[in-house]
Amino acid sequence: MGHVLAALPWIGPALILIFGVVLYPAVVMFYNSTRDISQSGVDKGSAGLDNYIEVFSFPYFWPIFGRTIIWVVVVVAATVIISLGLAQILNKAFPGRRIVRLAVIIPWAASVVMTTMVVYYGLEPYFGIINKFLVDVGLVDTPEGYGWTRNPATAFAWSIVVAIFVSLPFTTYTILAGLQTVPGEVLEAAKMDGAGPVRTYWGVVLPQLRSALAVAVLINIINVFNSLPILKVMTGSIPGYDADTIMTMIFKYIQNQHKVDVASALSVVAFVIVIVIVAIYVRVVKPMKEV
Amino acid sequence: MKKSLRFGTAVAIAAVASMTLASCGFGGGDGDDTASGETTLDLLVPSYSDATQGLWEDVIDGFEEANPDIDVKLEVQSWDNLESVIATKIQGGEAPDIYNGGPFAGFAADELLYPAEEVVSADTFSDFQDSFIANAEVDGTAYALPLIASARALFVNNALLEQAGVAEAPKTWDELLDAATKVSALGGGVAGYGMPLGSEEAQAEAAVWLWGGGGTFGDATEITVDDPANLPGAEQVKKMIDAGATQADPGSTDRSPLMDIFVQGKIGMQVGLPPTVGQIEEGNPDLDYSIVPIPTQDGSPMTVGVMDQLMAFQNDDDKKDAITKFLDYYYTSDVYVPWVQAEGFLPVTKSGAEALSGEEALAPFLDVLPDAQFYPSTNPAWSATDGAFKALFGQLQTKPAQDVLTEIQAQADAG
Amino acid sequence: MAVTAPAFETIGPPAASARKRRYTEDQVPIGKVLLRMLAGLIVLGIFILPYTIMFFGSVKTKAQIRSVDPTYFPVEWHWENYVNMWSTPETPLVQNLISTIVISVFATLLVLLVAMPAAYYTARFQFPGRMVFLFLVIVTQMLQPAVLTSGLFRQFLAFDLIDTWAAMILINSAFNLSFAVWIMHSFFAGIPKEVDEAAQIDGANRLTVLFKISLPLVWPGIVTAIVFTFVACWNEFAASLVILSTAGNQPLSVALTKFVGQYETSWHYVFGVSIVAIVPVVILFMLIEKRLVGGLTAGSVK
Repeated sequence: MGHVLAALPWIGPALILIFGVVLYPAVVMFYNSTRDISQSGVDKGSAGLDNYIEVFSFPYFWPIFGRTIIWVVVVVAATVIISLGLAQILNKAFPGRRIVRLAVIIPWAASVVMTTMVVYYGLEPYFGIINKFLVDVGLVDTPEGYGWTRNPATAFAWSIVVAIFVSLPFTTYTILAGLQTVPGEVLEAAKMDGAGPVRTYWGVVLPQLRSALAVAVLINIINVFNSLPILKVMTGSIPGYDADTIMTMIFKYIQNQHKVDVASALSVVAFVIVIVIVAIYVRVVKPMKEV
Repeated sequence: MKKSLRFGTAVAIAAVASMTLASCGFGGGDGDDTASGETTLDLLVPSYSDATQGLWEDVIDGFEEANPDIDVKLEVQSWDNLESVIATKIQGGEAPDIYNGGPFAGFAADELLYPAEEVVSADTFSDFQDSFIANAEVDGTAYALPLIASARALFVNNALLEQAGVAEAPKTWDELLDAATKVSALGGGVAGYGMPLGSEEAQAEAAVWLWGGGGTFGDATEITVDDPANLPGAEQVKKMIDAGATQADPGSTDRSPLMDIFVQGKIGMQVGLPPTVGQIEEGNPDLDYSIVPIPTQDGSPMTVGVMDQLMAFQNDDDKKDAITKFLDYYYTSDVYVPWVQAEGFLPVTKSGAEALSGEEALAPFLDVLPDAQFYPSTNPAWSATDGAFKALFGQLQTKPAQDVLTEIQAQADAG
Repeated sequence: MAVTAPAFETIGPPAASARKRRYTEDQVPIGKVLLRMLAGLIVLGIFILPYTIMFFGSVKTKAQIRSVDPTYFPVEWHWENYVNMWSTPETPLVQNLISTIVISVFATLLVLLVAMPAAYYTARFQFPGRMVFLFLVIVTQMLQPAVLTSGLFRQFLAFDLIDTWAAMILINSAFNLSFAVWIMHSFFAGIPKEVDEAAQIDGANRLTVLFKISLPLVWPGIVTAIVFTFVACWNEFAASLVILSTAGNQPLSVALTKFVGQYETSWHYVFGVSIVAIVPVVILFMLIEKRLVGGLTAGSVK
């Protein structure tokens, strides 16, 4: 007990800030998920588990759930793979490397909404530069371009592209930092042993990156799962629920249907799902394991 | 060295500036409980155009000059964010005193609003046009004050129609389909009819077609989207799409970007509203266009009327007088007419209509206004219905008409 | 040899002995260098493409942006957009920029102030509830902000802080605390205990140890935390939208939405403001890029 008291001055401020700010809204979220709240926002009494029943009985819930998993897995996996390659390039010495490194950082600095908006704008039929380019090189044969953001499948695919794009800087930089720590002697030793570059990478470099990667992937999983703006912008005009993930569905419950209560219930469900995903990840990858 | 010195000075100035400004931004809840007996009114409005913020500021400045004891706090939000902001405020028990929005029946049903007659003088109230007041009534009591109205009409690109060999602007669905198909056939990215069924304002295009076929969304007590009378309109939408008479992907095309394309002469016909005239004036004044009534199944006149309103929330009865003063001031002809004129909408007051009767740009819309049908905005379920149209109506592009209507009805009822 | 530590704590301190890689590191054939430059050029192109579109959009007129006959490059360069956007009727952009700066700077400082001791202590001392604390910290990262706004609004209403920067500083720092604690924790954990112990034997108290001995060693980790927090605060939107109602108090992220009208949007200003919002952050990056790479350095202490 004495230990805990000794710790308080050190961790107390953090606890106060977390409990003081985050706890109450989180409790409100759980509480709202069991209330019947009118469209205007007036609390009409208890709803029991009705909101949860509505969430699960929504005919599109399971497709949306499946799409959410695809979204997280594809974006995170592709981000990691591309980042590994990107980090290799940025780790090599060449004139102008500093500028390239700075460029890679821009999507991190820019707001995700604006990056998405500008891609959306580029993809629009009639106005979009990207569409114009595709028409000019003959890949699209309608003169006004193709409605990439008008069809669920292509809009979702482009959303994945944007999500990967904005996740790259953080992941790449984490790996890049990890690469700095690969001891030069070990690399030389591997070389002496006659290991080729591929074997050196798999046998020496990757294991060294493991812990950095594990943390980066964990953060990416949480962020990608909770990501709303990309899909909101890219698939916003599409009718129906064929391009939605849980996050956009929460948004639609709030914005379109004005059901704060059901949105809260779905948020609680989402919270449970992300905890489960993280738990599975921790189990499989063991980022907390001793190196 | 000199350079870095200058940079340092700039930083210092910026720091001082931000600290001074910080002192106004950091203070908590100023104004609400000042001792001087000053009343603060919170005004939450959406942004209609880039002029909206300035127009309201002018109104407020004028009002505060005449009423130094009342302080009006303006908050402007984009339409995208407006409704989530108001819902959050209401949930927190902090509704604005005056709110400018669309659906109001839900607020009235939750007993949050003052009856309109209690927050404007009898003179102001009697100046509203009767048809608009009727659209703000729930059980015989008006809970909202009409603010602006708009009516829709068909904007026709004369040059494109002529090029396609269409002699006259269409009046019926058959003529429209024929004309639009011919214009589409011109190729080169030209579309015959611009059909925006995307989430932005799907309910408006839905009304154009469903009502044009003799259908209705329902009335104050019942929402009837899944109704046989609505089927012809929905089927006609599919027919237009299948015939290639529209732009590509109508189901997910929003109306604002589509109108930009019409303005630049790539679309034969599209339904527009009064502010569209100003947009053409600004974006492509050379466009050769005309404004005609919306074609319907049998050619009988019909238009979709939309009315936005002001609502006064019951927060604190001490504020009622101040609210009344503000609204009376706002609706005086000298204040209201320039406001509504600048936003390019139709006035809702008798005096306003008189003042703007000579306005040429508004004439085609004032002409069709008598035939206007309105959304069932007095039904508390209208807000949910509106959301259901936005989220689902565009599925007509791929799904059977009946299925889409059934799905919209179900979501509207569940709200 | 790698110091064994839980990977959770292995984002190490700056490997002081990490080798500087220089161009002369190996005798790289010129062909290989050219190949790398080509690869770098492609990467550069891809990463700046969206922002080039953004930048070109920001110097077009409203009409040119929505032209159905788009051009790859602006036909005319309307630099005056960058002047005019500061005095539009829609939003007081100067104040919005100041708001963003004030909120981000103070929130970042608060995060540092609060996260640093917590990270240091949890990394250095075993106590019951240590893992619970670290877990709590991660969980705050998993909550979806969009749904929390209504609770936040009510809470800050009760604090009488609605429409104040103070509210947003508290909110931003609370929601970004987790990552800061987490990463700094790993860095502190990477310092060999002996360093501290030696200092303590010399009679220094814990605070002195923290500030004089440990801090300088984990400086890159702190830089990393600064960048993360700062960027997140800089772009925060959901809470600012409902908490800050006066136009002058709102940050750039909210101000941007003011250019979106019911039927038309001033895209040239939306793009211009976005560019303006990116620049300070990129400059910040530029100043600390080297430290950042060092700061993210994971792995072992040799």
